Formats: sequence, C-alpha cells, structure tokens
Amino acid sequence: MKIRSFITLALLALLAAACGSEAQETVTGDTSTTEESAFTRIVSLNPTATEMLFAIGAGDLVVAVDEFSYYPPEAPVTDLSGWDPNIEAIAGFEPDLVVTESPMEGLDAIDVENHVISAATTLGDIYAQITELGGITGHSDDAATLVTQMQTDIDAVLSSIPEREEALTYYHELDDTLYSVTSTTFIGYVYDLLGLRNVADPADADGAAYGYPQLNEEYLVDADPDVIFLADTRCCAQTAETVAARPGWDQLTAVQEGNIVELDDDVVSRWGPRVVEFIEVAGTAVAGI
Amino acid sequence: MSATLESHDLSVRVDGTPLLRSTSLAVDAGEWVSIIGPNGAGKSTLLRALVGAVDADGDVLVDGESVRSMKRMERARLMSWVPQIPTIPSTIRVFDYVLLGRTPHRHPLAAERPEDVGVVKNVLRDLDLHHLSDREMDSLSGGERQRAVVARALAQSTPIILLDEPTTALDLGHQQEVLLLLDRLRRDGRTIVTTMHDLTLAGQFADRLVLLAEGEVKAEGGAIEVLTEKNIADHYRADVRITHENGAVLVVPRIRTQESSPDDH
Amino acid sequence: MDARPTTARFIWLVAGVAFVFGAATLGLVLGPTDISSWGTIVETADRLTPFTFDSGLSETQKSIVWNLRLPRVALGLLVGASLATAGATYQGVFRNPLADPYLLGVAAGGGLGATVAFVNDWGNGEGVFDGVQLAAFVGALLAVALTWIVGVAGDRDRSAASLILAGVAVASFFTALQTFLQQRNTEDIREIYTWFLGGLTTSGWSEVLQLLPVAVVLLLVLSLTGRTLDIMAVGDEEASMLGLAVPQVRVGLLVIASLLTAAAVAVSGLIAFVGLIVPHAVRLIFGSTFRVIVPLSIFAGAGFLALSDLAARTILTPTEIPIGVITAFFGAPFFIFILRTTGRR
Repeated sequence: MKIRSFITLALLALLAAACGSEAQETVTGDTSTTEESAFTRIVSLNPTATEMLFAIGAGDLVVAVDEFSYYPPEAPVTDLSGWDPNIEAIAGFEPDLVVTESPMEGLDAIDVENHVISAATTLGDIYAQITELGGITGHSDDAATLVTQMQTDIDAVLSSIPEREEALTYYHELDDTLYSVTSTTFIGYVYDLLGLRNVADPADADGAAYGYPQLNEEYLVDADPDVIFLADTRCCAQTAETVAARPGWDQLTAVQEGNIVELDDDVVSRWGPRVVEFIEVAGTAVAGI
Repeated sequence: MSATLESHDLSVRVDGTPLLRSTSLAVDAGEWVSIIGPNGAGKSTLLRALVGAVDADGDVLVDGESVRSMKRMERARLMSWVPQIPTIPSTIRVFDYVLLGRTPHRHPLAAERPEDVGVVKNVLRDLDLHHLSDREMDSLSGGERQRAVVARALAQSTPIILLDEPTTALDLGHQQEVLLLLDRLRRDGRTIVTTMHDLTLAGQFADRLVLLAEGEVKAEGGAIEVLTEKNIADHYRADVRITHENGAVLVVPRIRTQESSPDDH
Repeated sequence: MDARPTTARFIWLVAGVAFVFGAATLGLVLGPTDISSWGTIVETADRLTPFTFDSGLSETQKSIVWNLRLPRVALGLLVGASLATAGATYQGVFRNPLADPYLLGVAAGGGLGATVAFVNDWGNGEGVFDGVQLAAFVGALLAVALTWIVGVAGDRDRSAASLILAGVAVASFFTALQTFLQQRNTEDIREIYTWFLGGLTTSGWSEVLQLLPVAVVLLLVLSLTGRTLDIMAVGDEEASMLGLAVPQVRVGLLVIASLLTAAAVAVSGLIAFVGLIVPHAVRLIFGSTFRVIVPLSIFAGAGFLALSDLAARTILTPTEIPIGVITAFFGAPFFIFILRTTGRR
C-alpha cells in the first residue's frame, strides 16, 4: 500500500507537470500587466500555496483553505480536504479560483478557475510559483520583493558554511520507522545545497521508492551519519533525546556529538516561503559542526 | 460390563414440530433392541435423545440413575454412539481415530496411557482392522470405515452402545460381519440399541423390535409380533408378504401387476 | 508420530528445535552490514552465557549485533511461533484448514486500535508499553469479544459457523471505522500503512520482553491442547458424546489463541499468511493430527518468520521490504497449492 500511494503521488505529480503549465498560461494571460487581481475569492487546498498567498499579501483574497493550511494562523481553515476534495463543498464558498497541488477536475462545471502549485524540485520552481501567484492576485511587486528577500537570506546561509575536504553525511528522518528521503527529492536537493551527502541514497538507487525508501536500522547505524535531521518531531514526537535512547543508537557519531537537528515536519514538507527557515536551521547546524 | 437403559416420556421438538412424542422404553442389560419404522418416524431422533445429542423433555435412566444428574464424561463412559453419518477428519489414521474413543477415560489434555493403547489394539484386532491401523480413514472402503467407527465406540468401553443404521452403507457380507460382531457383544453382556432399515435383518438379530411411526411407539415385542403384514401396511404403506422360515421372519415385497412396488422396504 | 513410537516423536522434536536454531543462526549471521559471522556468534555467546568471550568486533558492530540483530531475530521467532500456533488452534476449533488467527476480528480490531493511537498521538509513550501497541492489543481483544457476543446472540449453541459470520461482520464494521478515521486524518496515513503491513523494522529488546512472558505461557498451554483439537475434529455432536464440553472448550481455546495473536499483532503489526500457511504446511507434511500439528507449528512458525524477516532486511539492502510482502509472496502461491491439494480429497 505504501508503494502504491507513492505511485499515485508520482502519477499525480506527472499529471501536474503535464497540465499545470497550460492552466497557468490561460490565467496569467489576462492579468500580467495590471496590479488589479483577476480573482477576489480564492480557495486554497494546498498548504504551501496558502503560505505563499499570505506571504505576498494576498491573504485577504483567500476565503477558505484546506484542513492542513493552518499556517499562517490567520488563514481561514475549513474542513475541506486537499486529499479528496468535494466540489460541492468548495462551491459553497463561491470561489472564482481554486489553488491545488494537482489539477482538479469538475471545476469547469461550476465555472471556477484552477491554478496548480505542484511540488517544487528546485528553489527556482518556488520563486516561479510565487511570481505566478503574485501575477494573478495583483501582488506582483510583493512577490518580487519576497523572492529577492528569500534569495538574499538563503545566500547568506550558504556562504556561512565552511568548505570541507570531505562532505559531511546526513540522515533525514521522516518517521520513527526509518522512512527517509534520497537526494532526488526536493528535501535532498536542499541538503545538496548545504554540501551534505545523503546516507539513504543507496537504499533507493533505482528510484523504485520514488526517493522515499525505508532504511534498515542496522545499515543506518553502520553508515554512521555525521548529522541527523528529524522531520518527525510533530508526527511522531521524536526529539534528540528519544533518538539517543533508541537501542544501539548510542554508538552513532551524531548522537555522541549532539548533531541531531530537530525540524518542524510542516516546514520541511512544504516548499513555501518558510523553506528559508528550513535552510537556516539546517545550515546553522551544519556550519557549527 | 452391563447396564439397563430406560427412557420416560421422552419428547423432542425442533422449532415447534414434535419429532418424538412421549416415548418410553426399557432395555434390559445385555438385550439388543432394534428400532424400526418408516423414514421420518423419529428413529434417529430417539437414538440421539437417548444418548443426549439432542435436547429432550422426559428422562433417560442408566441402571436406574438419571443421566441428567451425570457429568458429560460420566455419561460418555456409560453410553457410546455410532451416528448414521459420522464426521471423519480427512487424513486421520485408523489408530488415532479409534483412540478417540478413549476420551472419556482420561483428562482431555493428558496423553494416552498404555492401557488406552492396549484397549485400542484389542478392539482393532477384534474387528480385524489391525492391519489397517496406519492407514488414513479416507483410504478405507465403506465397510472398513464403518467397522472403524464401530471400533471407536467399542474403544469407549461402555456397557451401552447405540448404533444409528450400522449396516446401511454396507454390502451383504459386511452387514453380516457387523451384525455378528454386535451379537457377540450382546453375549458379553453389552446393551445394544440400533436403528435398522432392513426389517428382516432387524428381526433376525435383535431380541426385541420397537416400531416407531410419527414419533410414537406403535408396536413393541418380538419379530413375530411386530413384523405383521398389517403393521407394515399401516405404517410403511407397503404391501408385503411375511413368511416364517427357520425361526426367521422374512419380509418380502409383493410385486403388483399394475404399478411397481415401493422399493423402500 | 503415532501414539506408539515415542522415539519418532522425539526425532520430530529435535528436528523442530534444529530448524528454529538454524533459522535463528542464519538471522544472526546475515545482515545488511558486513560483520564477520564468527564474530556475531561469539558476541552472542558472550552476551547470553555467563562466560566471557572476545568477539573482536568494534563497539558499533557489537551494538548492532546485540541491540538490533538479536532482538529482531528473537521477536521474529516469538511472533512467528505465536501466529502459527494460534492459526493451528483456530483451524482445529473451526475444523477449517483455511481459518487463520485474524478470522474473528483480531486484525481489524488491532488495526482500529493502532489507527486511533496514531491519530491521537499516543505513540512513543515514556512508559513500558507503547501507546500504539497497547491500543492495538485492546482493539484486537475488543473485536474478538464483540464477535463472540454477536455470534452467541445469533446462535445459542455457539456453533463455529455463526462465530465465523459474526467475525466477518465485526471485521467489516471495525475496518469501516478504521478507514473513516484514516481518511479524516490523512497526515497519519504513512504511519498507519506501515503498521498495517507489519514488520519488525525497529524492534528492540523491549518488544521482545513484552511478548516473551505472554507467548511462552500461552504457547505452552496451547501445545498441550492438540489432543483436545483432535477430539473436536469429529464434530461438535460426536465430540460432546465422547465427553468433551465442546462450547466451553471452544471458548477457552479461542480466548487463548486470540490473546496470543493480539499480543503478537501489538508488537509487530499485521503480518499476513503466517498463521494460515505454517500450520497448513505442517499438516500436509506430518498428517492431520493436531497433537502433532500444534507443537510443530510452534517451531515451524518461529523458523519461518525469522527467515522471512531475514529476507525482508537483506534482499533489497539497505532498504527494507515490508515483511508482509515477503510472507504473502511465499504465502499466496502456497495458498493455491493448498486449495489444489485439499480439493483433490
């Protein structure tokens, strides 16, 4: 089932890539030149898009967001599902635009536009998505400012990291059953920027797990990563202490030297403006090793 | 090893339908009583009520003592039962199957004792099954299997044995074999109750016949008294001729000229 | 095998122990990391015996052997023995070779319990017992209890058929609740799926110590009940005429087997097919008397699951294959084989 869900996700991502550009074109076509928003009632079913909309000052146009779009706190959270959305429930908010992670069918029937913010693979993707959202909501200038600020902040972090002869190794934990990410994912890409080497890469060399392999515990202890990033502090209540208390983990360099970085699951799994926060926390930790 | 068996006003109802009405019966120690009657008369039900396999009103007494006050184990040491269609586990070996008869003589979790194994071996030899001891029940012929089921009842070492149609599945030779075995057991003092379809055989072997119809005892006594043309015409709706030959009562269907006789004799 | 030659039974006992020992040794010696086989054995002897041996392994390797490999092997043995023996008991009680220990709702109840725990973040508790394990255990027992109540309400004689039907109904009901909860809490879906596939991936000594006392006691009790199951094989009516208190015995055996299953499920999730195919394989090879099937299922189940887990952690090293995939991969073809051979009879 695990594997199947990943296949589904991957297919959705492909679809998004295939159809997304088309949708964006039609939308940006008539609004690029004015600072007037083409849309006044936006429903966002994508927590990342919600964060982006609020960060560029378009939050007042947002009338409803999905159950997981609880950041920023002022976002109008509803019990709409981003996973399995109900068109009728969406229509109840009388939106003129629905932002989703993958293209949504059925919106044509109620004459509502769909804008897709699909999973980013690079920082460039994120900047482009923010710029697009700025364009269609009449906040182009705010979007440009945000992108510049993000670039500046990220550059500052990256330049603070010292050069090393041999790259540090890391393990990024998604949950306490040792699911991890490889370098092919966006998260892995971020660690690449920080000059780290992923110990999970051999676990999904053929990409069969779509970059999300489950690691063998024995292998992990043997691989002995220099730093451990915990992206399961919310879901699974993991902390540096619980990791150190795991049987056999006291042998790990990262445990012995205190190089366990607690991250916010949400910040890491979303590719919105808060990616800066992720890079800052991770980068600061790496710079200090 | 012998005991008397009595029933007092034994009645069985299933979903409001009476299958057995207030049947009273007394079987002496060492007596063989055969219950006869047409299909649906309640023969099997009577046997099951006697052995306690079906809930019944009234009472069953063994040596004058009510089985109601007995524990299941105790009752199983007094009465054994050979059902008409026994449930036989698919790949069980003959020896293990017969050994099940020793159940009431030991704790259900305990291993069989040497004496249990001894009893089983004796029974297998008595019934000429010892050479099949390691065979699976599935692989036996109908006659061999029937003997194995009887063997299980014998291994139970009870003074009373109830057998539901013990000869139905068997050919003539095997019928005779089983009946002669029961005859020998009776001579040893065991009390035997059977149901039988074959009236001639029933009359020939049993000490006494009980004719059951519509859940009631209609006639009771020796073969000569019970197996009359009238009784059989009344209760079997069969047209038969009764002849007596060397002390045996023969029941022979009459061949009618216009329609064939019912073959259910 | 038969009642007569005790030497034959002794030989099978020795063979069973040898199989378990062999599987455990393989599980200990082989693994995703390259540690000398001899070293793992010496290290284990050093830890498990009062004597001191020098394995020559590094501290990390010693820790891997003692903290990761050994408990996983041990838990595999215990869970396998528990599921297989519970399965053998269920098959005997229901006189159905296709019965498995999840038949009366243990899986659905455990699944609902675990889901409730994940949704409410009860996991990773500080106490001896993990919230998810406890919830799965309680959920599994609740489901069986409900099955029992429903089954008995429908049929005073508590026949096997009415219990199985009640089990199907209760399992559907619990599965519906579980799916509803899961859909309402999609953020927990990964944890839930992982649990449902079952596995020993992050098992340590604490899981072993939780299951050990329960499993040892209940397995000992069940290993004595083979003869009782043999009596039950002739049907409720005839077994009762042989002096067996069938309804009471059935409750007792099902309670024990369900407790054992629930305890195994609590620490390892839902591992499919073990409880079905292991006792059946034993039956095919050694004949259908339960006084042989039940004790041999203990050994066969232990060895089978230890080997399955070995495959799960080494085939695609360094990633894990869910153990349910391994057991089902071998289980499904075997299932077809069972159907073919039993169909012939």
